[in-house]
Amino acid sequence: MERITLNVNGQSHQLNIKVNETLLDVLREQLGLFGTKKGCDSGACGACTVIIDGEPALSCMILAVRCQGREILTIEGLAPEGELHPLQESAIEHGAVQCGFCTPGWLMSAKALLDENPAPSRREVQAAIAGNLCRCTGYKQIEDAILAVAKK
Amino acid sequence: MNSNQSFITVGKSPLRADARDKVRGKGIYIDDMRLPGMLYGKVLRSQYAHARILMIDTSEAERLPGIIGIVTGEELPFIHGESFPDEPLLARGKVRYMGEGVAAVAAVDEETAEKALGLIKVEYEELPALFDPVAAAAPGAVRIHEEMESYKGKPLVRPVKGTNILNHVQFERGDVNQGFAQADHIFEDTFTTPAQQHCSIEPHGSICLIDKDDNISLWTNNDSPYRCRIEIADALHIPMTKVRIISAPYTGGNFGGKGGLKAEACAIALAWKIRNVPIKVLYTREEEFCSSIIRHPSVIKIKTGVKNGGTILAREVTTYWATGAYAEKGPTVSRFGGISSAGPYNIPNVKINGYLVYTNTPVAGAMRGYSGPQTSWAYESQMDIIAAKLGLDPLELRLRHVYQDGDIHTATGQIIHAEGLKKCLEEVAVRMEWQGKTLGPNQGRGIACMERAVKTPFGSAAFVKVNEDGTVDILSSTTEVGQGSETILRQIVAEELGVPLNAVRKATPDTAYTPYDASTTSSRSTFHMGNAVKIAAADARQQILQLAGKLLSTDPVNLTLADGKVLDKENPVKVMPIAAVLGQSYGSSGTVLGRGYYFPEMPEGQETYFSSQVVFWLLGAHGIEVEVNRRTGEVKILKVYAAHDAGKAIHPDNVKGQILGGISMGLGYAAYENYEFKEGNVLNPSFLSYKLPTAVDMPGVVPVIVEQEHQDGPYGAKGVGETTNVPLPPALANAIYNAVGIRIKSLPITPDKVLAAMQERGEGESQ
Ligand code: FES
Ligand code: FES
Repeated sequence: MERITLNVNGQSHQLNIKVNETLLDVLREQLGLFGTKKGCDSGACGACTVIIDGEPALSCMILAVRCQGREILTIEGLAPEGELHPLQESAIEHGAVQCGFCTPGWLMSAKALLDENPAPSRREVQAAIAGNLCRCTGYKQIEDAILAVAKK
Repeated sequence: MNSNQSFITVGKSPLRADARDKVRGKGIYIDDMRLPGMLYGKVLRSQYAHARILMIDTSEAERLPGIIGIVTGEELPFIHGESFPDEPLLARGKVRYMGEGVAAVAAVDEETAEKALGLIKVEYEELPALFDPVAAAAPGAVRIHEEMESYKGKPLVRPVKGTNILNHVQFERGDVNQGFAQADHIFEDTFTTPAQQHCSIEPHGSICLIDKDDNISLWTNNDSPYRCRIEIADALHIPMTKVRIISAPYTGGNFGGKGGLKAEACAIALAWKIRNVPIKVLYTREEEFCSSIIRHPSVIKIKTGVKNGGTILAREVTTYWATGAYAEKGPTVSRFGGISSAGPYNIPNVKINGYLVYTNTPVAGAMRGYSGPQTSWAYESQMDIIAAKLGLDPLELRLRHVYQDGDIHTATGQIIHAEGLKKCLEEVAVRMEWQGKTLGPNQGRGIACMERAVKTPFGSAAFVKVNEDGTVDILSSTTEVGQGSETILRQIVAEELGVPLNAVRKATPDTAYTPYDASTTSSRSTFHMGNAVKIAAADARQQILQLAGKLLSTDPVNLTLADGKVLDKENPVKVMPIAAVLGQSYGSSGTVLGRGYYFPEMPEGQETYFSSQVVFWLLGAHGIEVEVNRRTGEVKILKVYAAHDAGKAIHPDNVKGQILGGISMGLGYAAYENYEFKEGNVLNPSFLSYKLPTAVDMPGVVPVIVEQEHQDGPYGAKGVGETTNVPLPPALANAIYNAVGIRIKSLPITPDKVLAAMQERGEGESQ
């Protein structure tokens, strides 16, 4: 067991964790942040994407102990309670959500992209979410949702 | 019919209410559920494709701190299955595929359970194994189920004694031999299709709690709670009222994969032994690939007799379906496949043989398209072979033969109606400028279409409960797996009751409270459950008007509902909000609970492929433009045009979403997803090596909704989502042929295969 301080969605948490615990497991099991999904647990589906220090990251591939002192943003922190981030609004409006299991992951990838590049091309959007597998939508509506926010 | 009627919400595309939860990470899926005292289960899986289990020693694992219990198949004398029960909860006596569950462990956490698996010792005696369905079907082949003759399948399942064939689908209409004799050209081709995994991004999961009186509560992401309930009750020999299935609020993708007992079986196995405590089993991605369910690999031999001018006289199709180690939905897949093996075409003489064969491979069952991807791969590829040989336009050849309203379906003998396939083909042709557009060098275009029967005849029931505040709850056991049924059912109820859409909610299925539904499968929900909720809403409407009549001292026939209010048609000042009517009636003069049941009353089916005729057909056509790199064999898809017949699109954006999603799954099957097996072992059980199409791989898609209204559908609607993947692979193969003149007959179409075919002709880069 290791005692760490984890900074998640602007709040700091003192936690006792096992050294081999992934950030994904700690977010879900210890902090009850179930919005970050586990689709493969091996870095290949993107459902667990969060933002760490501004960069998109696969939380199933990072040990929680490594996240000490870093700023972690999860889907729950994307917008203040009761509000929606423009990307979330746009996802609903563009029919970009079917089963929704991939949704938090690609929203975080999109947020990181737009923070970095506020006016991406469709190609750049596709590249940014290429690590986020979606079996339901065929991606088109996801891309449209992201591009619509970029245009605003 | 309904086309000129104006609707409030039907035919519009209101925003999905579930999306609001899902974008905030507030959608609850099975893995997000926690019950007090919950244990975690893990399953030890077979390393052999076919072997006798000689001994299982769990003693060391049992001593591990944190282990609560271990169960093996020997303790569970139960077999389950939807139409041909043959599968134990955990292997008993022998294992029949690599990845089959042998023992299960419950522990205080997942890590401990995982650790215990490594301490269980199993001794096997390896048996000869069969992987190829044609070899496995041969007389004298090693038996995978020696006891098959003792299984009690449904009457429609016809096993062949003494073999590995557990269902033989067979029929002949007309006289194929005579048809072949009269033909000027005979075409004989063999096509093959591989396995495919559903790859729902959410894995299978279940939590099971069983008390000492055998009362079972199962929280699960199963697609069909009532079907699940009966399968469990039958397997365990307990009354079905002891089994309660509670759906997780949301399911993260299904595509047919979450229909049997997968994680359910493992959780039940453990909970049967360890009582009074909830036990959760969640599949890993590797288990998804190796131990859940796959699409049937198939070998399809198709022989067609054609006259000089292109009239098709006779077609004979023989299909071998590799169903893997257990029957699962295989019997129905092969039956649906039998009905449509000859294609959606008027062909006077047809003979079908389908052999569903046990193999020592992962269990195959329901997957989006449900036989359509296999059958259409063969008949649509061969249509273009015929057209090429006879110098005919492939579109023209199809249009001349496709079923239209009033035709008799060759397999089912029924008179066809609401058949929009010709329109689908024509729409695709117009969009892709089939006549007239010239393509560049090494570019080509292809077209393909398909039909598939919807599961018939099965019923759906619903309640529509109107609350004191005028809001409405739909109690229905249709599961929301991503397809959007929740929104469509809400739209129908809002339409019927004249209330705003956001006043209508849909309850999460629970067999203790939500009424019967056969299944959320086969694109049947909009049609069947749509009708059920429509009937229930009409019933609720009458009840509201009755109550309002009393309060307004008016004959209810003078009243109507609109905008959440009761209106007097003759006296516009008499208006009362529904909320006020119910608020004043509840607890005194009455409540409102509408009841609806829909069952398609269809004439009996010809022979017994279905016990009735098919209530509607899933229909669609795709066109594709490609460019082939002659040196590397790489195929670039320039554009996909996809038209599907929705009857009436209740939510057009949702239909488009189903088309776009289907294209990506069809594209995966056609060109990317290469399930690699070696002696029954899955070599690539991960998203790293089993490649799904990503955003950068998707071509431009033009989705087209065709609306050939169905007389019995709600507002004319039929189902649409299940087969939007289906015509893509043959359309792609036909486009490649059109571009460079090579014909690929086995899926997936990889650059290697294209290159090899080019090299055979002396082209392409040699390696
Ligand atoms: S769960 Fe982390 S990438 Fe799939
Ligand atoms: S919406 Fe289902 S996986 Fe993307």
